[in-house]
Amino acid sequence: MPITTTRRRLLAGSAATLALPAFARAQSAVKPRLTVISQWSAGSDGAAITALGKKFEEKGGVWQHSPVPGFTTEMMNKLRAQIIAGDPPACSQLKGPEIAAWSKIAPTVNLDALVAAAGYEKVVAPDLARLHKPGGKWISLPLQIYSTNMLFLSKRAMDKAKADKIPVTWADFNDLAEKMKAGGMAYPIANGGTRPDDGQKFEASFAGISPAAYRAAIMNLDEKTLKGPEIKAAFAQVRKIADWMDPNVGAQPYATNLKRFVDGDMGMMIQGGWAQGVLRNAGFKFDDFIIAPGPSDNTKPVFLLNADAFIFWQRSEPDLQAGQTLMAQLVMDPAIQTMYSQITGSIPVRTDVDLSGAGWSDGQRRTASALKDAVANNQTVLSLAHNMAQENGLTAAMIDVITEYVKNKTIKPEQAVTRLAEAVEGAR
Amino acid sequence: MIWVPLLLSAAHLVSFSLWTIWISFTPSTLVPVSGWVGLRNYTAVIASRNWQIAFDNLLLFGSAFVLLSLVTGFMLAILLDQRIRGENVLRSIFLYPLAVSFVVTGTVWSWLLNPGIGIEKLVHDLGWTSFRFDWLVDRDMAIWTIVIAAIWQSSGFAMALFLAGLRSVDADIIKAAQIDGAGPFRMYGRVILPTLWPITITVVVVQLQFAISAFDLVRALTNGGPGIATQLPALVVYDLMFQRGLLGRGAAAAVLMLLILLAVLLPYAAWRYVQQRRATHA
Repeated sequence: MPITTTRRRLLAGSAATLALPAFARAQSAVKPRLTVISQWSAGSDGAAITALGKKFEEKGGVWQHSPVPGFTTEMMNKLRAQIIAGDPPACSQLKGPEIAAWSKIAPTVNLDALVAAAGYEKVVAPDLARLHKPGGKWISLPLQIYSTNMLFLSKRAMDKAKADKIPVTWADFNDLAEKMKAGGMAYPIANGGTRPDDGQKFEASFAGISPAAYRAAIMNLDEKTLKGPEIKAAFAQVRKIADWMDPNVGAQPYATNLKRFVDGDMGMMIQGGWAQGVLRNAGFKFDDFIIAPGPSDNTKPVFLLNADAFIFWQRSEPDLQAGQTLMAQLVMDPAIQTMYSQITGSIPVRTDVDLSGAGWSDGQRRTASALKDAVANNQTVLSLAHNMAQENGLTAAMIDVITEYVKNKTIKPEQAVTRLAEAVEGAR
Repeated sequence: MIWVPLLLSAAHLVSFSLWTIWISFTPSTLVPVSGWVGLRNYTAVIASRNWQIAFDNLLLFGSAFVLLSLVTGFMLAILLDQRIRGENVLRSIFLYPLAVSFVVTGTVWSWLLNPGIGIEKLVHDLGWTSFRFDWLVDRDMAIWTIVIAAIWQSSGFAMALFLAGLRSVDADIIKAAQIDGAGPFRMYGRVILPTLWPITITVVVVQLQFAISAFDLVRALTNGGPGIATQLPALVVYDLMFQRGLLGRGAAAAVLMLLILLAVLLPYAAWRYVQQRRATHA
């Protein structure tokens, strides 16, 4: 018998000796390659992902980015077509509960080992982490964070209204708006007329009144809270805001009113952090405006989370797999997150990135510290208007009610509450 | 060999329609899946506020648009038919909007009708500050802005057809009527109009099918707003399928649109059939 064993060993050994160099050669010969689809083609978004691609190439990878300009919808149509054709991209942009929904229609890559190696889970807000590991496994990675309820104050408007205090609660906010109106400003709130814009007014109002009720009603669809007093108060606050808005924007984006905002013809704006990038791109200075956390009735910052993310789809090609590994490592890298956020005006996902240095704005620092406070006080919630709180079907049904309410001032707050609850029931 | 492309496009049309009908009975959401949910998608669509608003808007937009573009087109045709100078230039001007895509029409009219930058602002700047023309952002009137833009776009088409019709009226009949002493109103009312029936029906049917499938114009002009006041069925289908990721419900809404279209086209087909029988038996 010993002879056989030896022979077996010999065979196995020689096979291994023969195979090993080939395997190693194959490993080193594989050049990481990544096929990506996103909606980011122009402006600061386009610049940021191009910069990310450059870093990918510097690390020896082949970067194949196919931007689908327009809305997320268009990008999802391309993703859907590729998945149905059995040829998903190695990586694509996708965010919020859609990650869970889409992960059921095609296999995704388990990133647990990479996330553990980077120690990433410890530095991500828990609400955010949950979205990116549906079913308990990391299959996607958040890239950057925006808060959708930042309060932008026009310095010239503040001077006109002789105000110098940043409003903290909704009462403060309403007082300041009245002051601005009394000071001759026809429309104290700079706004847009799109659906997400109306949605943002609602979510900022609701979460600012009670983050706990917001979580129960909007994120967990609790029936009692959906008909409760907090949500009615939120609709009442939205009506006040709507009365201070310029009705002439129609279906136009908020950016239409940016100049009037900076000039002091409009005083305040409730927007996401991205407005900072848009203002800067439009040639306005940081001295023209102040960015602060949105009104919160318990005076502690409420953070309405909106995060862009990448999901990784399973591919069998070794070069694509190597590309996915490299991409995941890059996305979690603090240096890359710093570079990305500094271009777009967002804040990094990692809560351990230092924002004190040059390249960061006061607005970004305030946003980051608001996130830290909100995480500590359990006041981070997910944005409804930007598809973070619910899947698209439910979101759209709720935004229908909200946008109609904003535009139709004959609907009473209690009617809006009933309609919202009905819309949720119908879409569930 | 005309039947080869004809057969291909017919097969294409029929197979996709059948496929959509099938999807409308499945529980499909993000991607098509098999299964059977009966009429659940249909009842959900019909019960939704979006569809109800869209359907009401379609009735209003469809009838107003067809009627007004018919009248405008006919008036333009009569005016052009007076053997005036520069007829060719005027005809091109009236037909020109048809060459422009609906997205462009919608965008341009959204600027013109915007009270903050368009016509209202112009009149204010001229000194008449109490002037109001804010239909675009008024949720009760916004649907009329779509009617205005659609008429601007396609009354030239009605005009061209009517003009051809007017030119083809037998000159001898007109002369005979003139000899009998008919004035211009009687002439148009009793002699010329009756010969234009087939053209009128054609214009109505073509414009109606456009009204039912209207999408790009509304998307560019109001995007269904303010709020959801100017929803139309095609917007609802797109929204359900692609924005909300509800393929089954979107397909059900699309099938409902097809039914509305058939409600227009079947009577037309029946009418044509009766006309033809009459012609052969006469």
